[in-house]
Amino acid sequence: MAGVFEAEATEIDVQKGTIGVSVARKEDDRLLRGAGRFGDDVQPGHCLHLAVARCPFPHARIASIDVTQAAALDGVEDILLGSDVVSGSDPISVLRPVPDAPSLNFFAMATDVALFEGHPVASVVAVSRHIAEDAVALIEVDYEPLEHVFDVESAMDPRSPVLHPQVLQSNLLARNRTGAGDPEAKLAGADVVVEDRFVVNRVSGLPMETRVIVAEWQPGARELTVRHSTQVPHLVRKQLAESLRLDDGAVQVLATDVGGGFGLKLGIYPEDVLACLHAMRTGRPVKWVEDRIEFFRATTHARESLHRVRLGARSDGHIIAMTDVYDIDLGGYNSPMGSPQLTSVMFTGPYRINDARTERNVILTNKAPVGAYRGYGQPESCFVREVLVDRLARRLGADRIELRAQNMVRPEDMPWKSTSGATYDSGDYEACLRIAAEAIGYEEHIRRGRGPRSDGRYVGVGLASFVERTGYESSKFLANRRSRFGAHEGVVVRANRTGGVDVYNGVSTFGVGSETSFAQVVADVMSIDFDLVRVHLGDTAASPLNTGGFASRTLIASAGALRRAAEELRDKILRIGAFVLDAEVGDVMISGDAVCMRDDPERSVPLAEVHDRAIINQGMPPGEEPGLEASAQFEPAGAAYGYGTAAALVSVDPETGDYDVERFVVAHDCGNPVNPMLLDGQVVGGLAQGYGQAVMEELRYDEETGQLINGTMMDYFMPTAADLPEFELHHTYVPSPVTPFGIRGVGEVGTVPGAATLANAICDALADFGVEINRLPLTPELVWKQIQAARARGHRPDSDARVDEDRQGTDGERHEAT
Amino acid sequence: MSDRISVTLVVNGREYRRDVEPRMHLADFLRQELGLTGTHIGCEQGVCGNCTVLVAGKAVKSCLMFAPQAEGLEVTTVESLAGFDEELHPLQEAFKDAHALQCGYCTPGFLMAISALAAEGRRPTRDELRQELSGVICRCTGYENILTAAERYLSKQRVSEGVDGWGI
Repeated sequence: MAGVFEAEATEIDVQKGTIGVSVARKEDDRLLRGAGRFGDDVQPGHCLHLAVARCPFPHARIASIDVTQAAALDGVEDILLGSDVVSGSDPISVLRPVPDAPSLNFFAMATDVALFEGHPVASVVAVSRHIAEDAVALIEVDYEPLEHVFDVESAMDPRSPVLHPQVLQSNLLARNRTGAGDPEAKLAGADVVVEDRFVVNRVSGLPMETRVIVAEWQPGARELTVRHSTQVPHLVRKQLAESLRLDDGAVQVLATDVGGGFGLKLGIYPEDVLACLHAMRTGRPVKWVEDRIEFFRATTHARESLHRVRLGARSDGHIIAMTDVYDIDLGGYNSPMGSPQLTSVMFTGPYRINDARTERNVILTNKAPVGAYRGYGQPESCFVREVLVDRLARRLGADRIELRAQNMVRPEDMPWKSTSGATYDSGDYEACLRIAAEAIGYEEHIRRGRGPRSDGRYVGVGLASFVERTGYESSKFLANRRSRFGAHEGVVVRANRTGGVDVYNGVSTFGVGSETSFAQVVADVMSIDFDLVRVHLGDTAASPLNTGGFASRTLIASAGALRRAAEELRDKILRIGAFVLDAEVGDVMISGDAVCMRDDPERSVPLAEVHDRAIINQGMPPGEEPGLEASAQFEPAGAAYGYGTAAALVSVDPETGDYDVERFVVAHDCGNPVNPMLLDGQVVGGLAQGYGQAVMEELRYDEETGQLINGTMMDYFMPTAADLPEFELHHTYVPSPVTPFGIRGVGEVGTVPGAATLANAICDALADFGVEINRLPLTPELVWKQIQAARARGHRPDSDARVDEDRQGTDGERHEAT
Repeated sequence: MSDRISVTLVVNGREYRRDVEPRMHLADFLRQELGLTGTHIGCEQGVCGNCTVLVAGKAVKSCLMFAPQAEGLEVTTVESLAGFDEELHPLQEAFKDAHALQCGYCTPGFLMAISALAAEGRRPTRDELRQELSGVICRCTGYENILTAAERYLSKQRVSEGVDGWGI
């Protein structure tokens, strides 16, 4: 079954259930009025404002800091230096440590040595942000610039400075190997080996709201209340308590509306500790709103990595081995979520490869730290793998669709364990491949043959297939990686006096529609009106301890907890309702806003009355406990693996390298959708970010100065409405057997296939030129350079001759990098 | 820096007079001086357009204008579209129906940019809309649903008669 959704909200029929309905979002009314509560919308009385002095060098010793003038400025209330931070707080804890790596003890401020441009060196609070920034400008720092480490290759040069000499002897933080079988032997015996060195660009997830914290300290009670722009309020609470040496119970974290997260708002950042320290020192509320220039230097970057990948196959197209040795450019320290590990987990994608290994090198450089970003390692592995699969097809003269289909894990193979240990739960990978191929007109494209179109442009079709992990395997899996959070979620479901149901959970509202989808699950389980369910998110004081919104896991894990709690509440409501109606429990049901007789719905009691009886414990059935509330924790049986195939049609101008993406199609399995309209929104949003990374986005550092060249929105090119193709979505609906309701996560999938699909489309268009691609982003300049490089090797576009297969293998490709 | 100057302007039909630092930009003025926090700030460089408001009927990025530059002018913000107790404005309804917002941070910028088109009596094609709205950045939606909402709403507007029901 495949289908295409329409973006149009629909009404609910409570009898038919609310799961699977494209109901309009509960979040929208306030947001559309501009009446959301984002961090910056909150301003406590007597609030002070924080500004941060940052190191302008990539690597520098702080010889001295003079704050005399800054402190004398009228309106300045407090100044913190590195020494104050070290004495007043503990290092920022890591939520997801790098396996086999020592701890780097990262404090919220540089003490002796600053490790990247933007590293905080002092902070000021004042009565206004203007004055705080004026004061920062008056701080005089005497820096001694040090030699800096620019990239992963120079970082491993023994002559390079070591960033953390107190802990490490080189800039290699960790080397992690995964895999199974003997790929070296298989590669040695392979009929064909394709290999290359791939450069993946450093990008920013760039949420439209920057980071915000408002910290309030009550000196007598020694309690801290923090309003925070985060996806994980409970993890922020844990980390703040740890760094600030407070009891967990002394810290409340509130996140109401968050203006986009994409993985960048997981865990705490240095400025969070600084704001709290200032609040605790001054006894006044402290607010910090990151400005966009700071954002580019202070909020984690993502994806930069260097891959050396080999793919071996038999002449019949059977892929027999794969390896990826890759270096992650971590930046100056390990951020709370740190570098991606999913590249290693997912690198073989949808293919049955029994001999495959990865080596992951996590390397420190003098750049802003990297952290989580939607997809988190999977766009990278998809790019390097799928580009090589296309090259393999060209080498073998094989059809790209058939080659993929031939190697894919089949439905009857499931559950299937990959060489990295990932257990693919279910799915029909080939079905999505065929749907995408048909939708993009693959056969027609092949039939049309090669050569320029009538407008002189070369047309190419590219495909990329992928499998994507959504949710986590288990808390045990996380424990093995020493992650400081679980795979479960917790909720409280509580009936109220007006006949409604309140739901409390610790994730925040950052765009994915949890208020709506959670309410759909509860309304569906209880058969009550959707409008009667109110979802309260993001307050650690009101919700059970939980993990938070990331890893495409929010709904997967929460739905199970919601179902359990809602069932418990429903059953009790039915018992009370039956008692009131003088009926057997089996003869009554909930319908909308009342409990009624199954055979006579007119005979009913309103939920408001049922709830009230329980809340005041009057008029209850004998033996029934007072109250009408349930809490539940739930851990899914495993990760649900999403999958699909994307396909693009591009036309390239061979003279300039400019290209148009004329069509972009995705066939994706979404399990059982809870809200198809929201699901599509997630997929398309991810595709837009994946497209940005593929085509235009790149954070560039200057090799000589070590400074960020394009760290503003004027210089960093994220897609606008005029830049994106219309994404055509096709869905299949194979329920996951390991999640409640058969849900698969959909938050990240869109980011995965973009780069691979477009690179393959461009290479297909220019196949007769001998163009191959091994780096991102796919700028027209890059395409033009690859055309020139191919010409320099003697390729002629108008000759239909295939590339010289003996020479055009690995060596030629390896040296094409620009 | 403390030399304040007086600014008088009309916001959503109401006249305000405030003494502010000359360096305060209009977006900060709306948010901090008037408490109209629906106008969101995303870059303060005139790129993201999240702070778009109407000044004298034209779409303006309010971070690029000092508050004193708006002296005597009429400013219209997202708060004008629907009063607290009123139903959503048809443009807001169109956004809701088409799932044209996710985190909602950029949304006021789009609503005001589209309001400016409506006020001018424009009915752009979808491709023209892509250009017209390219000055507001959204990171969540991929824009398609925003274009759909804008298209549906503008197609119902009477050409050249502008938009009514703003509540101002």
